[in-house]
Amino acid sequence: MAKEVIRQFLPLLEEEGRGAATDDSAGRDRHYLPDTPEEDPYQAGHRTCAGCGPAIEYRWVLKAAGQDTVVAGPTGCMYVANSTYLCTPYTVPWAHTPIASGGSFTSGMAAGYEALIRKGRHPGPYPNIITMSGDGSAADIGLGPISGALYRNHDALFICYDNECYANTGIQVSPTTPFGGMTTFTPFGKAIPEGTRLPPKNLARMMAEGHPHCYVATATVGYPVDLINKTRKGLNHRGAAFMHCFTPCQKGWVYQTSMTVEIGRRVVEAGLFPVWEYDPEERRYHYFHPPVQRPVTDYLAMQGRFGHMLAEHIATVQQQANRNWETIGMDVPAELRAGEDPEHHKRMRDESYSMPLNRGVGA
Amino acid sequence: MTTVHVEGAWAPEPDYGPGSRTPDGIKMLAGLAGTRKRLNGCAAAAYAAMYANVDVITAYPIRPYTAIMMNLSQFIADGLLDAEYIVADGEHSQLSAAFGAGSCGARAFTGSSGVGVTYAYEMYSIISGARIPIQMSIADRTLDPPGDFGSEHTDALCTRDMGWLMGWAATPQEVFDKTLIAYAIGEDPRVLLPQMVVQDGYFVSHIAGEVEMPAAAQVDAYLPPYRLPFPLDPRNPVSHGPQIHPSQGPPLQLERARAMEDAIPVIRQKTDEFGAAFGRKYAHFIEEYMLEDADIALVISGGHAVTCRAAIRLLRERGIKVGMARLMWVRPFPSDDLRAALRGVKAVGVVETNLGLGGSTYGGILAPDVTTALYHAENRPLVTSFMAGLGGETVPAAEFDWMAGKLTQAIERGAVEKPAHWVGFED
Repeated sequence: MAKEVIRQFLPLLEEEGRGAATDDSAGRDRHYLPDTPEEDPYQAGHRTCAGCGPAIEYRWVLKAAGQDTVVAGPTGCMYVANSTYLCTPYTVPWAHTPIASGGSFTSGMAAGYEALIRKGRHPGPYPNIITMSGDGSAADIGLGPISGALYRNHDALFICYDNECYANTGIQVSPTTPFGGMTTFTPFGKAIPEGTRLPPKNLARMMAEGHPHCYVATATVGYPVDLINKTRKGLNHRGAAFMHCFTPCQKGWVYQTSMTVEIGRRVVEAGLFPVWEYDPEERRYHYFHPPVQRPVTDYLAMQGRFGHMLAEHIATVQQQANRNWETIGMDVPAELRAGEDPEHHKRMRDESYSMPLNRGVGA
Repeated sequence: MTTVHVEGAWAPEPDYGPGSRTPDGIKMLAGLAGTRKRLNGCAAAAYAAMYANVDVITAYPIRPYTAIMMNLSQFIADGLLDAEYIVADGEHSQLSAAFGAGSCGARAFTGSSGVGVTYAYEMYSIISGARIPIQMSIADRTLDPPGDFGSEHTDALCTRDMGWLMGWAATPQEVFDKTLIAYAIGEDPRVLLPQMVVQDGYFVSHIAGEVEMPAAAQVDAYLPPYRLPFPLDPRNPVSHGPQIHPSQGPPLQLERARAMEDAIPVIRQKTDEFGAAFGRKYAHFIEEYMLEDADIALVISGGHAVTCRAAIRLLRERGIKVGMARLMWVRPFPSDDLRAALRGVKAVGVVETNLGLGGSTYGGILAPDVTTALYHAENRPLVTSFMAGLGGETVPAAEFDWMAGKLTQAIERGAVEKPAHWVGFED
């Protein structure tokens, strides 16, 4: 007779006071409290860049998942930077898949384990099954396969680590590249001063709306405890889960390497990457309301990829941010509303801001 | 032998045991044992997959192979087979999902036809290079254009150099047997290669024939539970498919090339073992039909061999010394066995039911391989090829007559007229 498939349950961490970008009373960063798991299934031995956002995401996600985990990594920067023949940073089983196969290969792993356990050929509990696709893989070439996997509701967590470009191949535009972010396929020039002309796809929203039975969440490397908990909620969810994680790319975005986590918070505080959870039971979104609301220039000015932007481009991004604020149910302060007017801005090169800036222009 | 095999690295697995079949499945197979069922090629493939107790099936509809998956979905719906059934979002995903399941140690079964085969093209090299022995059951079909349901071998042959074991079955019984034999070869730790079991669309896939049903225990003994030496298993973590430095390329590619050669003795062994266990003895690589005293021979693969045999009997009645060599496997290509089978033959014609546009014969895909194999023969025969049965057209006995005539003329002339004849378009 078929054997029962035992599922794992991963406990959530205490989140109180750590959901936002705040320091404790002594000025220490409150995200790194000692109840985070000690194990690191994503070890040293990889070749990611200094300040790599996806590497931080990989580390937190695998910390959250633990050792009884199987990971698939479609082609992308985190394939090329992580795996070197005869050397591996993973202490969990990991497989490369073609760039379009994140969803489909992972479906096969999930189905394989369901069958192997049921048929008495794998003694353990059902492993945590995770795929980490880049934005090119998840939002572009592998979108259909991930949608198929979510529709079929395999018990697995499908993650898009989003660095808003095809970074592996040298920073080319992807469907999540923001308006105005220059890439090597969307350079700025006299005829096209904004670089990337299109607003990004709303990948997570598409996944939640299109697969309402799935747990869907967005997260950023700016909020590690939130990222750990969402990983665990996604894995605990019986069925398919999708997480869209914002992971800055210092090589592609051109910023100071120590600023990765700060950018991961500022993008939320600027209203450009709403952090939320979609609860499939209630069929509703739970939005995170950041304690600070900033003008988009606080975010844009940190990155060389936006260094070419003109006043009207900044106004366009502020309009997008303000619509996001409205979507997540927050008031738009008068100052931010005023930012929708190009007259309110100078071109990026002439702006000056409080944070350490990268005054370079490029991607 | 290749180095991927890591014997002894693992603690023994618990028994697969009869419990892994469903109670209804056990009952059904017990009832079938020793009987003959009238099945078409698609149903035969599905029954064989059920006997093989596959773990994961990945499907996507395209004619004519669809009926394989329709049969299997019904087995699962009726509780006769315990397997995960994934309806993928396209053939690329279908192959990827089977690959993912196989990488975890599941016995995976998939299939396709025509442009479905080519839609998944990226996956073939990746799966064979990863040494994941999944099986793909193909009922072949003409590639577009034009839109055409008919059989042509081009779809599977397009993938011939991607490192999969590949062979055509000519009858439903052979489809059933080859499904089991191919799994046994591919999963052998000396081989570890994916397999394509191909049948001619409609001619085999949709025409019923009698198929002998074995006992489940007989199949379990011949095809023991699959155990990948390096699965994605948290108990023993491995990394699959990392990046390499170019200097690491040549030895890895050499290993892949050798894997194909290493499969040859295993194909012989598993074919013989199958014959001993089930009583149906197949040629290892070349079915030799009336070749002993033949002057001319047709090299063929797949279901048209059935008509070819009948045509040869009629030609023999007229005193024409003709025989047939049928390729049981196209990959690995049986160069040695083909040379041996065609030892005394003076002229050889390759029957091409495929399209190799702009190739060295300006005809089909098989003749270049056959010609290369025969080039090294002691008494090199004349070689030509015949484009026939394209787009799913039948190859009637009259066309085989015509081919035999061309070969006889070639012997008389001492040279072939051209490397590829288009049958029906020439005098």
